[in-house]
Amino acid sequence: MAVLLAGIGVGSSAPSAAAVEATFWSAPNPTQEVFWREMAQAFMRERPDIRIDVRAMVESPSSEATILTAIAGGTAPAGSENIFIGFGAQLYESGALVPLDTLPGWDQIIRARGMEEAIEGWRFPDGHFYILPIYSNAMLFGWRIDVLRELGYAEPPRTYSEVFAVGQRLRQARPRSFLMARAELLDPTWWQRWFDFFMLYYAASQGAPFVVGQDVTADREAAVGVFRFYQELNRRNLILTRTSTDPFPTGLSIWADIGPWTFPDWKERFPEMRLGETFALSPPPVPDGYPAGEPIRTFADAKGLVLYAQAPKEQRDAVWEFIRWVFTRPESDLRWLEATSLPPVRGDLATSPVFSGYLRQHPELVPYAEALPYAVPPFASHRVTDVQTALGEAGLVPAVRGTKTPEQAWEDARAAMETVLRR
Amino acid sequence: MASRAVTGGRLHRAEEVWGWLLASPYLLFALAFFVVPFVWALLLVFTEWDLISPQRQMVGLANFVEALMSPRVRAAFWTPFKFMAVFLPAVLVAAMAIALLVHSLGRWAGVVAVGFFMPYLASGVAMALVVQGILSYNSPLSDAFFWLMGDVPDWFGVPALAVVVIALMMAWKFSGYYALIFLAGLQSIPKELYEAAEIDGAGSWTSFWRITVPMLYPALYSVMVLAVGLMFGVFTEPYMLTGGGPDLATHTWHLEIYYQAFSSLRAGYASAIAILNALSVFVVLTVVRRAMEWWGRANGWT
Repeated sequence: MAVLLAGIGVGSSAPSAAAVEATFWSAPNPTQEVFWREMAQAFMRERPDIRIDVRAMVESPSSEATILTAIAGGTAPAGSENIFIGFGAQLYESGALVPLDTLPGWDQIIRARGMEEAIEGWRFPDGHFYILPIYSNAMLFGWRIDVLRELGYAEPPRTYSEVFAVGQRLRQARPRSFLMARAELLDPTWWQRWFDFFMLYYAASQGAPFVVGQDVTADREAAVGVFRFYQELNRRNLILTRTSTDPFPTGLSIWADIGPWTFPDWKERFPEMRLGETFALSPPPVPDGYPAGEPIRTFADAKGLVLYAQAPKEQRDAVWEFIRWVFTRPESDLRWLEATSLPPVRGDLATSPVFSGYLRQHPELVPYAEALPYAVPPFASHRVTDVQTALGEAGLVPAVRGTKTPEQAWEDARAAMETVLRR
Repeated sequence: MASRAVTGGRLHRAEEVWGWLLASPYLLFALAFFVVPFVWALLLVFTEWDLISPQRQMVGLANFVEALMSPRVRAAFWTPFKFMAVFLPAVLVAAMAIALLVHSLGRWAGVVAVGFFMPYLASGVAMALVVQGILSYNSPLSDAFFWLMGDVPDWFGVPALAVVVIALMMAWKFSGYYALIFLAGLQSIPKELYEAAEIDGAGSWTSFWRITVPMLYPALYSVMVLAVGLMFGVFTEPYMLTGGGPDLATHTWHLEIYYQAFSSLRAGYASAIAILNALSVFVVLTVVRRAMEWWGRANGWT
């Protein structure tokens, strides 16, 4: 009978009776879900003994809350992506994660992706790695190069003083335009600080660690300088801190923090936004006197994947096999880039011929690939949300409003952050 | 007689069973989603726990002490009253106006009532995005302000304005819903009362204040309790529009609970805040109910 069934093909695509089934949660983002489903299908064709069930995690009220609820309810998947290092630290503190560097093939993945240097930023306090970074958006600033040219500039400003000078000329030429439109500068929501404070802080401090363990280790001069910079921009009426709709593409503002996820939206809604014609990308501005020729660091909006300790070992092993299969093949990272436009964490992204064809077709991603080595991921603390909320409430927001001097705002923020860290 | 009593007793028991059976879906729902979580929260308030860690640290009343000292919780305590000051008059006037309008229409009353009810069904997130678009700095409305006054109001940057915008947004959403309650009340007022008042020489204004409003007591009672209770559970609008700012002016109980539970992962502390939230709702609603009952008695309702 078995021979007969085999002869007519029945069961040829069905899982073998002994197949291990494991669940992997993708981010609640259709493009990422498509990538993981494609990968799982391809992997399962090679490994019929493993069934990977890819599901998009629910984002209600947030993907983090969904993961916590699943762990608390005993229904965590074997693995998931979409983990930033701060949330990873929260999970690590609770013993919810598997140290990935103890699994076979970890070194092979790191070597295959050329991540030897980049991975160091992801080391946890016990010396192990619990997150495998997948993508890293080295955040850059966009400038309306067409407007800059109108104002007599050939390229974006580099230092704080140059930014003020551009702003002054802009307000004279276009009284209703602003240098930057960012209502979130007055919003203490913790993650907003990644895209205003930390971009400038890491640039000014050359990547100095902000928090280590229970201590605020930030470079005071750089932090105060960032507060002073934003305060001065607001005092000179160069930033719009009110809600506005698409300020950068509509020309209401000429300077904005831009991540690679912006481009698919622009392609659809603002096709006139073209690199070199209407906009240019540049690293964050730096304090006056920053060494010429020195690379400028920035913040990296980076996320990775984890395995959950709660899942049965055979399921974790199955997902790890899948992960190894995916990330030891450069073509997987190319497919990731094509599907999501999010730069994979690879040391050779800007140089490998595997990616050069794609990057030639999407030149706007080249600056992100080039900035990867200088991009600093979020600091690893399980108190990251409270720390960054305190930074906004006691520091950046009152500094921007001008209700505190930059020095006072920093001292208050530092005290509030240390209280949170030592709780 | 004896056999009748027995029959009556059996019938009574059968009715009781049916009664419990029919009420059971609600009772089970309440048990699963109100009673069990409430008891669970009562246990959690004495712990410092992130929901997943195997260790739960017992902290006694420390969570309550921290909550009472927290400026964020104190801001959340006052925010419902600020919203109430704008929301209650706005929603009562709007709902009453809609109810009177629909009541006077006759044939098309149902269609019009559904039209006003639609905002209640709309997603809070979608409504927030619409309001954000309308009030954004580069919207046509802002252009009009700029043209007329030379500047645009900082809708979400000035604490008082942010409160007014959010309260009015909620009034827009809920006025159609409350209007339906008023409409049911209007339909139950006997016409003879108006006829008698007219014979006595009362005008429409006097009839409204002396007949309609007092006769709407049951509807007003329901609407007041719902509206005041709503102010203690606001989340979506400030979450989408202000993040609780500026300067915590629109920071609500539920924003703080969400932040502590799902961003900071402090389940025990968030539960303590939730208990304080429940207590404040209970106290305020008791006062509102007593006041409404006093007003009802003054108007002949017992």
